[in-house]
Amino acid sequence: MTARTGDDRPRVAVVTGAAAGLGEGVAARLAEDGWAVALLDINPAVEVTAARLAATNGLPGGRLVPMVVDVAEADAVGDALTAVLDAFGSLDLLVANAGIGGPSDDVVDIDVDAWDRVMAVNLRGAFLTARSAARAMRRQGSGVIVLLGSMFGQDPVAGGGAYSASKAGVEALGRSLALELAPDGIRVNTIAPGNMATGMHWEELRYRASRSGRTFEEEVAAARADVPLGRHGTGTDIGAVVAFLASDDASYITGQTISVNGGILRR
Amino acid sequence: MSATAGASVIPGRFAGRHAIVTGAASGIGAAVAGRLVAEGAAVAGLDLDWAGRTHLPGVIRIAVDVRDPASVEGAVAAAVVALGGPPDTLVNAAGVYLVRSLLETTPEAWDDVQAINLRGPFLVSTAAVRAGMGPGVIVNLSSVAAYEGSSGEPSGAYNASKAGVSNLTRQMAAEWAGQGVRVVAVAPGVIDTPMLRMMDDPIAGLAYLDASVPLRRLGTAGEVAAVICFAASAEASYLTGTTIVVDGGLLAE
Repeated sequence: MTARTGDDRPRVAVVTGAAAGLGEGVAARLAEDGWAVALLDINPAVEVTAARLAATNGLPGGRLVPMVVDVAEADAVGDALTAVLDAFGSLDLLVANAGIGGPSDDVVDIDVDAWDRVMAVNLRGAFLTARSAARAMRRQGSGVIVLLGSMFGQDPVAGGGAYSASKAGVEALGRSLALELAPDGIRVNTIAPGNMATGMHWEELRYRASRSGRTFEEEVAAARADVPLGRHGTGTDIGAVVAFLASDDASYITGQTISVNGGILRR
Repeated sequence: MSATAGASVIPGRFAGRHAIVTGAASGIGAAVAGRLVAEGAAVAGLDLDWAGRTHLPGVIRIAVDVRDPASVEGAVAAAVVALGGPPDTLVNAAGVYLVRSLLETTPEAWDDVQAINLRGPFLVSTAAVRAGMGPGVIVNLSSVAAYEGSSGEPSGAYNASKAGVSNLTRQMAAEWAGQGVRVVAVAPGVIDTPMLRMMDDPIAGLAYLDASVPLRRLGTAGEVAAVICFAASAEASYLTGTTIVVDGGLLAE
């Protein structure tokens, strides 16, 4: 939205969980706006995603860099961020989007290892990437961090306690980071999506269908009907909000959660 | 603080749009009206008092008392004529601040704050929808005061009115989503506007507020206008029924 003045160097972003879904949508928007983007994902398919986005936008080689990284691994995250700084010289934006849905069991039935994995990816991953990014941004004296929360972090439901707790944790992490980094001119905010047209959401609806006796298509229609605006959200919707939060138009917004849910939560 | 902070005009973003902005003669309302014009919208500015306002080029000036249904009805009708059609954008920025403890707040003073800050957005929004708005976007001005109580600077009537605005936003969003009207509230923190000068001791107050904000400065009307314009733009097409807080980190503490 706003070009950096004074030089022609592209702004630099790291997007985690960028192989597909919301992360891909965010990376696509940033690529379209001329950013250099490191696309991190545990799934090697991120290499295909990066190549496709580069071709779509006619970008020069090396502008979109795929990296196969597990965000729950501290050393791997540190190495990846170092590689980004070596390649591009700065880090202007982190979008900590990598996440998994986890078990749909009631809390009393959740497998402990499954709980731990949700926390490792969704919360530890956000912590590790934000921490590495914040260190680089502090040295620069500027930067923007966007974490991906969820409406389930704002408004938990029965069945999905691990996911809800991890996303509520992400929001709290975002507020602490915002307060700690405000003196350095670094803004930190969380985006909380609702029912999004992503693999994670379709997987959840398939699970619901297996329990409810309704078809998958009926579950999709029901999920859509829950949204006052009458549609699922997309990576394009989230990319637009990220572009806004990364711009000077959001220069007084920090420590906040932006709900992007078509009105489903009504708060 | 920079006068230009948050003021990076996006040319043509509102080309072809028809906007009504209440409270457009000063403060945040004036900043929004100016930016909408700069980005291509036709803008009708509604305000109680346009006297002495000379530097808002391109804004159609219409007098209104947002407390009064007949005045609102007439002003919205005049705006529809002047804009050449029903509005697709409405920003309810008219508001008044009052620092007074509850025990010192007279019923009349209480009523007047609610009438301007809460009845006003209700009257203007329903008039706009009746006039044919939709698809479109309504942006209401809430406040961080909607979430807080304060003994140091007691403003209970104002706080309650702004909490009402955030709820009114949710209700409008629920009722009007079906006709393609999104409704979003923007809740500013401490912004350097004429309303801030309504504080009892502005000088001491400003220094205190500056130090208590995590970003260590007051916000500008331009920064709030930037967020309002984002909320009103196609970029925010999946946002409705929610409040965006613009407070430099105040509420995060």
